Amino acid sequence: MRKENDNRYYGEFGGQFVSESLMNTLDELERAFEEAIKDPEFIEQYHYYLREYVGRETPLYYAKRLSEKYGPKIYLKREDLNHTGAHKINNVIGQILLAKRMGKTKVIAETGAGQHGVATATGAALFNMECTVYMGAEDIERQKLNVFRMEMLGAKVQPVTSGSSTLKDATNEAIRTWAERAEDTFYIIGSAVGPHPYPKMVKEFQRIISTESKRQILEKEGRLPDVVAACVGGGSNSIGMFADFIDEPSVRLVGVEAGGLGIETGKHASAMALGEVGVLHGMKTYLLQDKNGNIELAHSISAGLDYPGVGPEHAYLRDSGRAEYVSVTDDEAMNALLELCRTEGIIPAIESSHALAHVFKMAEEMDRDKIIVVCLSGRGDKDVNTVQRYLNGEETNK
Amino acid sequence: MNRIENRMAELKKLNKKAFITYTTAGFPDIKKTKEIILAQEEAGIDVIELGVPFSDPVADGPVIQNASVEAIKNGVTLEKIFDLMKELRDEGCEVPILFMMYYNTAYHYGLEAFVKKCAECGVDGLIIPDLPYEEQDEIMEQLENTPGAPVFIELVSPVSKQRISKIVKRSRGFVYCVSQMGVTGGDVKDFHKNLRDYLSEVKNTSSVPVMMGFGIKTAEDVKPFEDIIDGAIVGTHFIKLLEESNFSADAVKEYIKKFKAEL
Repeated sequence: MRKENDNRYYGEFGGQFVSESLMNTLDELERAFEEAIKDPEFIEQYHYYLREYVGRETPLYYAKRLSEKYGPKIYLKREDLNHTGAHKINNVIGQILLAKRMGKTKVIAETGAGQHGVATATGAALFNMECTVYMGAEDIERQKLNVFRMEMLGAKVQPVTSGSSTLKDATNEAIRTWAERAEDTFYIIGSAVGPHPYPKMVKEFQRIISTESKRQILEKEGRLPDVVAACVGGGSNSIGMFADFIDEPSVRLVGVEAGGLGIETGKHASAMALGEVGVLHGMKTYLLQDKNGNIELAHSISAGLDYPGVGPEHAYLRDSGRAEYVSVTDDEAMNALLELCRTEGIIPAIESSHALAHVFKMAEEMDRDKIIVVCLSGRGDKDVNTVQRYLNGEETNK
Repeated sequence: MNRIENRMAELKKLNKKAFITYTTAGFPDIKKTKEIILAQEEAGIDVIELGVPFSDPVADGPVIQNASVEAIKNGVTLEKIFDLMKELRDEGCEVPILFMMYYNTAYHYGLEAFVKKCAECGVDGLIIPDLPYEEQDEIMEQLENTPGAPVFIELVSPVSKQRISKIVKRSRGFVYCVSQMGVTGGDVKDFHKNLRDYLSEVKNTSSVPVMMGFGIKTAEDVKPFEDIIDGAIVGTHFIKLLEESNFSADAVKEYIKKFKAEL
């Protein structure tokens, strides 16, 4: 509790658990970031690229057929319509503009499924920065198409073979490289995780999702929504979706984690389900870990939610009761994905389908005049192979 | 008095430098680790850094990462390492031993229980590379309130700059000067370009001995800094030596004796 007045913390979560050699780097980053977001020129630049390059604002689409079927009014925040197909680009544009401003010439990033990697490679091409993306060897094998996309965009994809060869290890490797080369290299973290100020920075660069949504729903409905829902891996689309609603107590905030094969099976990616606090990737937060304090692998059909931790602000929103966090299984998410395809003609990402699945469940107990806004964080084109394998009954959850 | 502080005081009296080696506990297994520790003690090592393996060792390069992975695969846990420590101390092993570990391992054990257990089992010091100055309050509180608790050894880096004085003020036992940027491993050629100035600054500020580590293989490697530092730490190279000699106690003794003689 004594961390209450420490701006590096959200309640007891967050902090800067990194090696001494990165402390001055983080300090420099924090100062540059705080200056930048107060500089109208920087903000204008950021919005210019979001508008002209990313294609914002994204629609807040009233899903009429879904609403008629499930009861309450369901609105989809269409982040899937962004350039590169997901919300990830919002944050990349913000961080890469900051990197430029700080005089860095190189960027590095970690990626799991490859979405953040593709977004970073895209931003690096746009701003003429040298880009290296760290990716677990296992993930490279599973996401060949995204690896090729990054290479087409001029990025170098560096395979990571340490540990479990997945996202958490790619993140470790990016941190190691950053500790060595921070002088000319900017580390673009893709989720609302990592040491302070990253969770705050990612939230600010994803806040646009809720700023737009709030204005749009007021225009369309003349009132705030009853529920705002989003999927949670590390928690970047959800923190962006929640940001402008956190101080609106009438709005229920619901985060949906990946329940994998079911929490009881131990094969899931729901960092908050068991309530174990620990320290990983520079932050104190809820983590999947074994009885010896070693980090456990996450399991989900959705590569983008396959992370053993969660952003520290989510951990705080959970404990303070401001937001509620639930999980849905692989099967529930896949059913929701197909439901959206057939009912609205939209193929959502498997990640976003987790949020949809829970919304469908909630809707059953809500009146017709209630309003739900759900973040459709990404499109599902990248997932069609997985969907096909799933429908053929092949193994899709590693 | 603490074993590390004692040893450092003795060396100072004799005007000698300290030599520290790093071993990952349970690599390849706990039994071998015990043999290696006893061989190090016999060869006259000043302090042993015992690595507690962790699944995500972000401060380590490939060699120590690999040793950690192997140790975890072999079922090594913090509890088993405590058992080993207790056994060594019960059998009269008095060489100073510190834990090099990641914060989550201690945090997950429970800081109060962890520090108590360290005191009981004769752990003399702690190095926690992902716990910088600003995050140390919680563990410091436990260390200060537990009799016989290990000393907390602070790390400084070539880019610590204005942070050096506050960090060094808090360090006990010795202060660990990292010689290069990035992770463990590397070479003399990876030493930071301002290494000499930075070491001097730490030395001028510090009331405890100043040790240099990362990228060191031989006593020759630290010769250019012998007028400043109080000793050297070898990690990655020592793990390689263990692997290459098939964990031979003789190879360990020979290496340590040679390094000490030349230091």
